[in-house]
Amino acid sequence: MSYGDDTTVIARTVARITLPLVLVVAISLLFQGHNLPGGGFIAGVLTAAAFALVYIVFGMEYVQETIFGDEYEPDGSVAGPAVVDRYRTLFGVGLAVAAGTGLGAMAFGKPFLTHTDEVVKPSTEYVAWIPGADFIFGTLFKFHWATAFLFDIGVYFVVVGGLLAILAVVGGE
Amino acid sequence: MTPDLWVLLALVGLPFLGAAAVPLVYRILGERTAYFAALVALACLGLVGLLYGTEGAQSVDWVPALGIELRFYVDGLALLIATLASGVGVCILTYSGGYMHGEPGQPKYYATLLAFMGSMLGVALAADLITLFLFWELTSLTSFLLIGHYTTESSSQYAARKSMLITVAGGLFMLVGFVLLHAVSADALGSATWALAGEGSMLENAGAMREALESEGLFVVVLALLGIGAAAKSAQVPLHIWLPNAMEAPTPVSAFLHSATMVKAGVYLVGRMRPLFLPADAHPGSLELWTLGFAALGLLTMTVTAILAVAATDIKELLAYSTASHLGLIIAGFGFAGHLGAETGAFHILNHALFKATLFLVAGIVAHEAGTRKISELGGLREDLPITAGIAAIASLGMAGVPPFNGFYSKEFLFHAAWETGAASGGLYYLIPVVAVFGSVFTFLYSIRFLMLFFGEKPDELGHVHSPPVAMLAPPALLAALAAVVGIGGITGTFDVPLGPLEEFVGSVMHAVEPAGAEETSFHYYLPTTVTPWAIMSALTIAFGAALYPQYGRLHDGIRSLLRGPVRANWWYDTATEELNPTSTAVRDRVQNGLLRTYATWVAAAFAVLTFAGYVGASVDVPVPQEPATYLPLALTAVVLVASVTVFGDLSLRVATTVAGVLSVLALGIFAWAIFGLGLTPAELATQPPVVFVLALAAVAGIAVSRAPSHIAGVLTLSILGFMVAIFYILRDAPDLALTQLVVETLVLVIFLLVLDKLPAFYGGWDRGRMARDGVLSLAVGAVVTTTVLVTTAASPNEESVIARGLAEASYPEAGGNNIVNVILVDFRAFDTMGEIAVVSMAALSIVTLIALRERGETR
Repeated sequence: MSYGDDTTVIARTVARITLPLVLVVAISLLFQGHNLPGGGFIAGVLTAAAFALVYIVFGMEYVQETIFGDEYEPDGSVAGPAVVDRYRTLFGVGLAVAAGTGLGAMAFGKPFLTHTDEVVKPSTEYVAWIPGADFIFGTLFKFHWATAFLFDIGVYFVVVGGLLAILAVVGGE
Repeated sequence: MTPDLWVLLALVGLPFLGAAAVPLVYRILGERTAYFAALVALACLGLVGLLYGTEGAQSVDWVPALGIELRFYVDGLALLIATLASGVGVCILTYSGGYMHGEPGQPKYYATLLAFMGSMLGVALAADLITLFLFWELTSLTSFLLIGHYTTESSSQYAARKSMLITVAGGLFMLVGFVLLHAVSADALGSATWALAGEGSMLENAGAMREALESEGLFVVVLALLGIGAAAKSAQVPLHIWLPNAMEAPTPVSAFLHSATMVKAGVYLVGRMRPLFLPADAHPGSLELWTLGFAALGLLTMTVTAILAVAATDIKELLAYSTASHLGLIIAGFGFAGHLGAETGAFHILNHALFKATLFLVAGIVAHEAGTRKISELGGLREDLPITAGIAAIASLGMAGVPPFNGFYSKEFLFHAAWETGAASGGLYYLIPVVAVFGSVFTFLYSIRFLMLFFGEKPDELGHVHSPPVAMLAPPALLAALAAVVGIGGITGTFDVPLGPLEEFVGSVMHAVEPAGAEETSFHYYLPTTVTPWAIMSALTIAFGAALYPQYGRLHDGIRSLLRGPVRANWWYDTATEELNPTSTAVRDRVQNGLLRTYATWVAAAFAVLTFAGYVGASVDVPVPQEPATYLPLALTAVVLVASVTVFGDLSLRVATTVAGVLSVLALGIFAWAIFGLGLTPAELATQPPVVFVLALAAVAGIAVSRAPSHIAGVLTLSILGFMVAIFYILRDAPDLALTQLVVETLVLVIFLLVLDKLPAFYGGWDRGRMARDGVLSLAVGAVVTTTVLVTTAASPNEESVIARGLAEASYPEAGGNNIVNVILVDFRAFDTMGEIAVVSMAALSIVTLIALRERGETR
């Protein structure tokens, strides 16, 4: 079955508008996941859904040639379109990242997958003369990072790569 | 002096690193990879050399929470096995360079062989029960690959499977024994330990361990479990059957597995455990439980397999049975109490490795150059293979136990130990030395038969036999030379000029297998100079053997004619496995017939039955909600449902009316009960509408799915159900669940639409039986799910719940996140998530692979 030949202008236009929105929402879900609803899994599924929309509306070749910009040839070891090879790499990398965060903890002598977090605040010493410096640098630019987020990124890659590989192979049939 | 930890780690790790490097090396060196592998083995031998003179344990933590460590222990026994594994390994790998010329699968072969050697070194040095078990099973695993080297041949597959089944099953028995030892060690040592040797270990406190085992009544149990493990590995009767089949492996592998490694693991275990089970005051001739078990097992194996070796028609088969027979001898030796038993076992491990490795390599030369392994087709090889004939003479006379060749001395120790035991107890126990002689006569017979391949008339069919390449000749020559040196040491020992280092080394092995506090004896060996009962036993063996040899052909035929049906242990194995095959085929055809709906049926049924059985087994009370308000949404949902079914459904009118009538009466009854019986006000009822609406819509969608006229309509209505559930989550304050449900529902819809084309439009006939079955199954699954929901939500995660409160309190301080759901996923239970994303990856890979296979037209 091939998609993209018989879609209407309406579908194409709507897809063009919604796609960036969906992707931005997905990324924001990924980033806010630690404190607000969201997370790597949800963001990953949403991203995959966005790509599914592109497949259906614009077709597989469009994705292959326009988004990845190449005539990448698969080595024949996988079924379906060439992008499957890239998706396979993607979820491999995701697994490696997730496992890597676990191993990272071991490098510090902690058990596998121990996570840590830290709040980084820029020093306001030299900018104290700016009105509201405390608020701007102490609250607005405060950066709270957690290694668990790296793990979440791994989850995100695996979900995106895995689902898109399945979609591409099944859709390519 | 304690050994250096790094040397130990390097020694055990090096072969595995070498194995990992083999695929790369093979690209550069090709067939000469053999010499690379031999170099790795040589380096290991060097590292073993560094360990000489050291004794003691070293350990690194592995799983501290369970007290498991990577613990290595060096003593005489460990050094002996390690030296044999790496030393014979060098010879085997060099020899492989010649033997494997032009054979398939060489990178796999060398990598596995090195990994196997590493596992064997691990077994020899490990002193933590779990570490020992790990390496033990690694040898089973790698030997499975080696025995099944010719993967396409069914005999190889059969042999590999058999050895795997028997040795791994035996290993599991041993594991149970280990776990029991671990548990008992808590009684004996104050705290449970896995450490077998070294400081604070079981062997160090052998007396306390023995007492604890006896007071728990586990002495016999543990002894039997460990005995089964060792017997399976060391091919003791009746578990010897895998060994002759293992001859399917390339000959160097047979030589390695059957002389210096694999089978020696079981012997090693017996030797290692000997000081644990044998009391310190045991003396030669004393009858301990240990002796009754292992000496009997060993002598039985020695005799039975020696007889079977005489019945062998193939030179490798002959050698295989002879291996089992000599392992029996070693086990029997370790079985006898006192220093004589220790001497027998320790010395014969060395002697057997030397002559048996040599003989296998000789057999490989014969098979390779003469083109046949049939004993009846071989003879007079001396003319074409003079050097090989010399090598074979030294080794097979050693195997026969003819003085002054090396095997003679250790067999003499066995006779001595057997005689002492028999004489000490008298009566029927005199059977022990008699059986020992009886078995040895057959050993003598088949050894001479092997030697006679090189003498006598050369059959005419046997054409010109080529000389083997140096790479194939040098290793057996070296091994035979060593065997000869051991033999000469006995001659010089008779004149008080013993082979000092060798005697000292065997003495240290002996020391390692003797219980702590046993009488110190130093090891000496020499030719008998006075007439003793055991010297007479040796003489009798040779005399009977020589007298019977002319009748070898008749003996051979006679034994073969007896080996039919249930007399053979093999018959039991084959019958068991063959009878089980149809059963498994039948089960497979019913469970996995390639139809998705069958798979779904079995999965659903298994889910329902297992979960339900779990609830019954744990006698879980199903909590029925007591608050009447809980039932209101249900009641209202039922009303809406009934209304919609009666209005939109196309069920036959009568059924629809009946169902609708019953349900309406039921719903109205509940309603009335809520208002009048429980006194709920309509205002309270009014708090429910959104939930009721959403659930009712979901229920309607559920009904509509089953009545959908087309796949597309069905999928779309199904997604209505899914979205309604998502909205229900929102209404119930679970935003993360709702989000997940929404995006997953969207994606599932898309995937469904993609595959719809491929689904059959029609599922086949509706027969009543299947409909009834599906109906029952649906009800069962529904009931189990409902029960599960009731059970799991009985302790609702409110403020009072310890888990919920604990998680909520720990979330920010410990993980720096406010979203508890996400914190659980990526931090508290990150390991679970790790497993789940691995599953996602595997699923994606499987789908990609399966579709790729189908496109290539492959059906398997």
